[in-house]
Amino acid sequence: MRLAIGQYTATSAIGIGLDPMREAIRSRRSGLRPNDLANCDLETWIGRVDGLESVSLPDELGHLMSRNNQLAWLGLQQDGMLDSIAELKERAGDDRIGVIIGTSTSSIGRTEEAYTKLLPNEAMAPEYCQPEVHNLHSPGIFVVEATGIRGPALTISTACSSSAKVFASAARWINHGLVDAVLVGGIDSLCMSILYGFNSLELVSPERCRPFDRRRNGINIGESCGYAIVAREELIDHAEFMLLGYGESVDAYHMSHPHPEGKGAMLAMTRALERADVAPTDVDYINLHGTASQANDRIEAAALGQLFSEHTLASSTKAWTGHTLGAAGILEAIITLEAMRQDLVPGTLNCDEPDDDFAFDVITENVERPVRHAMTNSFGFGGNNATLVFGCAND
Amino acid sequence: MTEVDIAGFGIWSASFADPGEFRAVLAGREVESEGTLKPELIPARERRRAPAMVKMAVEVMDQACKMADLDPAAVASVFGSGMGDMQITDYMCRTLATSPRAVSPTKFHNSVHNASTGYWSIATGSHCPANAVSAYANTVAATLLETSVQALEEDTPVLMAIEELAAPQPFKSVIEVDAPFAAALLLVPPGHSVTPLGSLSLALRPEFVDEPAPPALDDADFSNNFAATILPLLIALAEGQRASVSLPLSRRSTLDVTLEHAAAPATAHA
Repeated sequence: MRLAIGQYTATSAIGIGLDPMREAIRSRRSGLRPNDLANCDLETWIGRVDGLESVSLPDELGHLMSRNNQLAWLGLQQDGMLDSIAELKERAGDDRIGVIIGTSTSSIGRTEEAYTKLLPNEAMAPEYCQPEVHNLHSPGIFVVEATGIRGPALTISTACSSSAKVFASAARWINHGLVDAVLVGGIDSLCMSILYGFNSLELVSPERCRPFDRRRNGINIGESCGYAIVAREELIDHAEFMLLGYGESVDAYHMSHPHPEGKGAMLAMTRALERADVAPTDVDYINLHGTASQANDRIEAAALGQLFSEHTLASSTKAWTGHTLGAAGILEAIITLEAMRQDLVPGTLNCDEPDDDFAFDVITENVERPVRHAMTNSFGFGGNNATLVFGCAND
Repeated sequence: MTEVDIAGFGIWSASFADPGEFRAVLAGREVESEGTLKPELIPARERRRAPAMVKMAVEVMDQACKMADLDPAAVASVFGSGMGDMQITDYMCRTLATSPRAVSPTKFHNSVHNASTGYWSIATGSHCPANAVSAYANTVAATLLETSVQALEEDTPVLMAIEELAAPQPFKSVIEVDAPFAAALLLVPPGHSVTPLGSLSLALRPEFVDEPAPPALDDADFSNNFAATILPLLIALAEGQRASVSLPLSRRSTLDVTLEHAAAPATAHA
């Protein structure tokens, strides 16, 4: 399999657009901060996008107002993404492009707000009567309206693998001839459901998260937005990267605890490598799921130890951005593509005392090295797993 | 053109609990459905904790696999719902508005849109890919398309489930849906099933059409239930008829769906 990656962009706690993200990774500057979200008293660190609250939507999209759609709009305006989409519409035809967005939160933050202001008869107050917002497809509707793309549109919501799976569905749509290109995206925003929900599972760290460190004690939650164009090769001039493979699997074990032997994780990785026809020894870098929860990091490291040798560098970038849940798949896919573009592999931040019980050692310092093939893992609740494999176009 | 076979289907509502009762209602017979929902696949202990959304999905998915006589562990799955689990969203938002630290961890992990495929995979032991999707009012068309393309591109059976719940009071401000509904279709590449129930042809059209209103059946009013827009196809499937429907896929595109029944002649020349 070989599909071109066109323009892409990412917005997260380490910056709005790609430039600040590159600088943050090079200088190892984390975007995490002590929780300062309004109306949330949890002691934890979060990855918040600065100034998101003051982003205004264009008038014609005003009825779609929510924090999640503010993030969708902010992200769409970066790195010439809207120009690239306009150019693609000219070239492919606006009905030959699809939209697939991954999200776990959708606009539930807006629904939470509506519930704090219910009228005595339990109706939503007029300003919250937004039928196209209080549903899972809210970001999909927003992106279709904001871009004018006329092909099929879908929102995928499989918890933390959502926006990795958008690449798999996009590949099938293009390979099937349904469309010639797909605008894929992932958008998740900070909200009470997620913060108090993960807190109820005792998975939230009161400190900075420390992926793969022996003292790791939970996750930090973040918000992010990423977009990428996936297309037939001939539609993208001078594409630098190719989507070579994807692997999807389910643990069939537990709703919120990963399979103890990492069965689903192994299946996702091996299925992705098989489809890409890339041997484990040819993978130069893996961006890990690496949430800094006790279970995830131990099980993911064990799975890596079975498949990869020390030639392959692996790291988690969640201590830069926080765990951005439904948007983590595409955010980390983009961080992976940037590692290939810059020949700079990010070493796991905050991993000062690596857990030496692990079957595989992650890197803890940035490493300058050419990256020809790279992989990224995303594992979610419901035991839902996805792995992506990318390669340089000129290989 | 995208062409897939239908190997089995499942259906559940408070008025008819399975394909047999559905056929009886279509034939004008009385059914004594009590709207019970006890999917056998989920162990009794787990069933008590499983949300209604999950129980409905697992029930119709199991029905479709049994009709097709296919091992549920060997099929991929795609779950689709326009509104998701509004009961859990209602619980989460109410709790957060009053005492956020009281959120139940079980309810929180059940709140993910892929809860149904999560429970399904645990019950069946399936490690096959599982997806959970939404396209708001257009969820039937989008899920049908996604499932069909996956079945053909991966050359594997894929089970789709679609469902909507009744809206809790605050949600009635944005969607007035009273009757819950769930259905499943087991789609297979042509030739995979020796005795398919029928075959589907899907074609895209870059135009907008209005969402068709779901038909009323028996006493059930499926108004505004996005999942129930699949009923015209299921009625034709159950009655062995041919059917053509146009379902909106977005504000700018439409999916034209044609159902040919396997029992009917493949081509009808005048």
